Amino acid sequence: MRYAHFLALPLAAGALAAQVPARPDSARPAAPPVLSIPIPPAGTLVAITNATILTASHGTIEKGTIVIRNGKIAAIGKDLAVPAGAQVIDGNGKYVMPGIIDAHSHSAGEAINEGSRSITAQVRMQDVLREDAIGLYRELAGGVTTLNILHGSANTIGGQNAVVKIRWGLPIDSMLLAGAPPGIKFALGENVRQTNGPQIPGRPQRYPRTRMGQEEVLRDAFTRAREYQAEWKAYEEARKLVKKGQLEPIPPARDLQLDALVEVLEGKRLVHAHSYRSDEILMLLKVAKDFGFRVASLQHVLEGYKIADEIAAAGTGASTFADNWAYKLEAYDAIPFNAALMAERGVKVSINSDSDERARRLYQEAAKAMKYGGASEEEALRMITLNAAWQLGIDKLTGSIDIGKDADLAIFNGHPFAPASRVEMTLIDGRVFFDRNKAPTLEALIEMLKRRPRPNTTSGGAQ
Amino acid sequence: MRLTPVARALGVAAALSPLPVCSAVAQSDTWALINARIQTVTRGVIDKGTVVIRKGLIEAVGASVPVPADARVLDLMGKTVSPGLLDLTSSLGLAAPAAGGGGGGAGGGAAAATQSPGGPRPGLDPERDAARELKVSPGDIKPVRDLGITAVLVSPSRGLFRGASALVPLRDSVTAADIIRAPVAMHMGYQGVPGDYPGTLLGVITYQRQSFYDAQRQALLLDRYKASPRGMARPENDASLDALVPVVRGQLPLFIEANSENEIRRAIRLAREFNLKPTIVGATEGFEALDALGGSSAIVSVNFPQPAQTTRWSYRLSQRRPLGDSAAAAREAQKMIEGNAATLQKSGIRFALASGGSRDFIPNVRKAIAAGLPANVALESVTIRAAELAGAGEILGSIEAGKIANLVISNGDILSDSARVSGVFVDGIRYEVAPPPAARTAGGNGAGNVPPAQVGGTWAMNMTSPQGPMDITMTITQSGTSFSGTMTSMMGTNDISEGQITGRTATWSMNLQFGGQSITLSYRGEVDGNKMTGTAELGSFGSATFTAERKP
Repeated sequence: MRYAHFLALPLAAGALAAQVPARPDSARPAAPPVLSIPIPPAGTLVAITNATILTASHGTIEKGTIVIRNGKIAAIGKDLAVPAGAQVIDGNGKYVMPGIIDAHSHSAGEAINEGSRSITAQVRMQDVLREDAIGLYRELAGGVTTLNILHGSANTIGGQNAVVKIRWGLPIDSMLLAGAPPGIKFALGENVRQTNGPQIPGRPQRYPRTRMGQEEVLRDAFTRAREYQAEWKAYEEARKLVKKGQLEPIPPARDLQLDALVEVLEGKRLVHAHSYRSDEILMLLKVAKDFGFRVASLQHVLEGYKIADEIAAAGTGASTFADNWAYKLEAYDAIPFNAALMAERGVKVSINSDSDERARRLYQEAAKAMKYGGASEEEALRMITLNAAWQLGIDKLTGSIDIGKDADLAIFNGHPFAPASRVEMTLIDGRVFFDRNKAPTLEALIEMLKRRPRPNTTSGGAQ
Repeated sequence: MRLTPVARALGVAAALSPLPVCSAVAQSDTWALINARIQTVTRGVIDKGTVVIRKGLIEAVGASVPVPADARVLDLMGKTVSPGLLDLTSSLGLAAPAAGGGGGGAGGGAAAATQSPGGPRPGLDPERDAARELKVSPGDIKPVRDLGITAVLVSPSRGLFRGASALVPLRDSVTAADIIRAPVAMHMGYQGVPGDYPGTLLGVITYQRQSFYDAQRQALLLDRYKASPRGMARPENDASLDALVPVVRGQLPLFIEANSENEIRRAIRLAREFNLKPTIVGATEGFEALDALGGSSAIVSVNFPQPAQTTRWSYRLSQRRPLGDSAAAAREAQKMIEGNAATLQKSGIRFALASGGSRDFIPNVRKAIAAGLPANVALESVTIRAAELAGAGEILGSIEAGKIANLVISNGDILSDSARVSGVFVDGIRYEVAPPPAARTAGGNGAGNVPPAQVGGTWAMNMTSPQGPMDITMTITQSGTSFSGTMTSMMGTNDISEGQITGRTATWSMNLQFGGQSITLSYRGEVDGNKMTGTAELGSFGSATFTAERKP
């Protein structure tokens, strides 16, 4: 009952099926528009047979079989026997690739930017997610299985991220990826500068107004975090010296903001930094080096090709757009060859969406890295799978088709990089969360729309 | 002992005399309500019995209770006496928060502490105390009491930390001295401080979390200091933290206003982090969060918002608008919303019903009954269960000897469709209720006979919101009982959606893209010829009032 939501999620094709009466000419009143999001059964044994398997880690296997046991990949190869009792998915003529990982998403957030302060390391995307966000379903239909849901880029140190698997139909808490290390959003450059404008008359403008100030915000924050860390260490030391019968020392005041920054210093929280220009990126890498932490990923990083060696040397990943050159002030020097050039210099590159819309077709975005810059097919594939997993610290769990990993898979009806291919099925932990054959096709949708009375469209309706 | 005929005649005469109430009180504080049908709520119905009131308390109740010699007798033949109703969602007598918000927090410095308010910021003040602020006039109280409501739980209605509430008897000149119980609970909600920290839901939840950690530490410091002050820096006197200390200690109940499904889940999740069991107030979409609500108590508002006013429905409806029959969908949604209490009841969740600020409290309780809530449960939910949730179950909420003499007299069951309140007792003080003017009864239940108002044309609207006044031009095309159109203001031109007419009431909503967030604004207006007045809910920006005039 809990997930028997009524009122359809339109364009979520399954929803429309429930919403449109089966017999429009029937005299009986239409049933109330009840939608229940089906929760796929947790299959214990699944086999995908006879498919072209793009492993993203060790090449392509033609006419291969993948055996999934308890949600994990148990065997991969040609001429594998299908275990008795397995649910068989016929992969004949199909392509299987690892579930796509979007390293930069804002899906499902009821709030994105707590931009009221320059540092809001204390806020958590996890607190504000909603499981019924339609973007999630559309992404699933585009082969996406994992999202890095980030805070916005209004302030230098934004909020804590949430890494989710799109287990559509389950409560949001069940979508959080348990094994993912926590992360945090940083932001540099114009977005931070330009959101300092007047917000409410009479309220002071937010600091800082320049990139100089952004560096100062970072250094000041981590200096405070070090002091706070020392305070706690002193407390822990003092506790050890307490003898029986003595009072415990009073702990320092807990500060949720500094807690998160201390985790960054200790390498327990991954930094994902929105950045465009090479100068601001070098600044951030220098700050991180001075304070002894690693930046896990640079987000957007459209000038990354200029400083690819420095990024690679810092052990930092780059998560970029396939194109989007010159779309804003700080993207004037962007080039479509960016992803391939960075990869060539040893940077682990991913291609992200930053958009619910683009997230549905990240496989086409990855293909552009082959066209512009000549990335190999597998390199391009990794840009939306294994490399993104590495940037999120989950490459031991997912991101490629390897034995022992989570069975997060996208099954295409053609090569994912071919323009007309589309996703047939999306599996997460071996469970089928999207199946195009069970969801109405676009053609069926159009048919259903034709049979419906036209709504009054005089006012346009669009926002 | 039976009354002498003379005494009885005197008593009846006194009861019937048109003397002002105050002089009646001066005569005697002892009453005998005889020949009444008594709905005790907790001990069944007495078909014909007597309630004796003395010094503000119920002295005796039963089928054959002797009438005291000094009692003034009220013959209630044909009338029903029920416990006075309670409304646990009231802001009566509290000043509305100042518009626009106050000071600015620590500006400039990047290293500003996470949450030092630095000035008065409405909604961020757990130290607010309804009992101390209470300032009511008889004019505020009478319309509420005339509905049969004899006590209300008063708390500020907006903000993320709103302060402590007080249970107030609806006597004409009630002061802090008359309060039944305070503090009843700490009240919380989800409105932030637009343009400041915490400005969004992200910040609001974190602010609440950080505050609870701070309060836990304050509790520890206070305990340590009390046990052994020597050699220890004394804990800071911080009114905000001190107000939260009894909450984290589990000594003061936590009431969180949470209406959408996600709000309900978030409220319960946050409370659980601190081992607290909150009472959910509002719970409009409780039927979507039955699993989360199990084990918690709820104060369910019957203000029945338009579907578009709840985040979940607005989301759904805005999404499907281009495709489907949104009016039919809205009606379905409305049915679910009105059936909320019935659904909670079926799931075994214990709740009180409350007005949620609606003036149609009792009519809306009747709608909840029509939607499947058993009438006896509805009655308990506005009497004994409400009293229990306010921590006053021992002294209020039913007709039992020893309880406070808060009673309501009506013809027939108080929640039946035809019930009319003819009198109320509060703390044993009698207040008569005049029958409603004829015009109102004709308008009565539902707008079935009223032709739908015509709103087509161009309207000049003036809206007063917490952000200040705003002029809006509204162009409407009406088709039957639905309408569409645009609203143009300094915020640009936006489409009207979900335009509906019910009798003289027009409701519509509008989606606004603002600062990277989508906000649904919901409007409700009463149409009177070429004039309209109403209110608007502006999401996290609060609520507004408007007047509009049709241009010739």
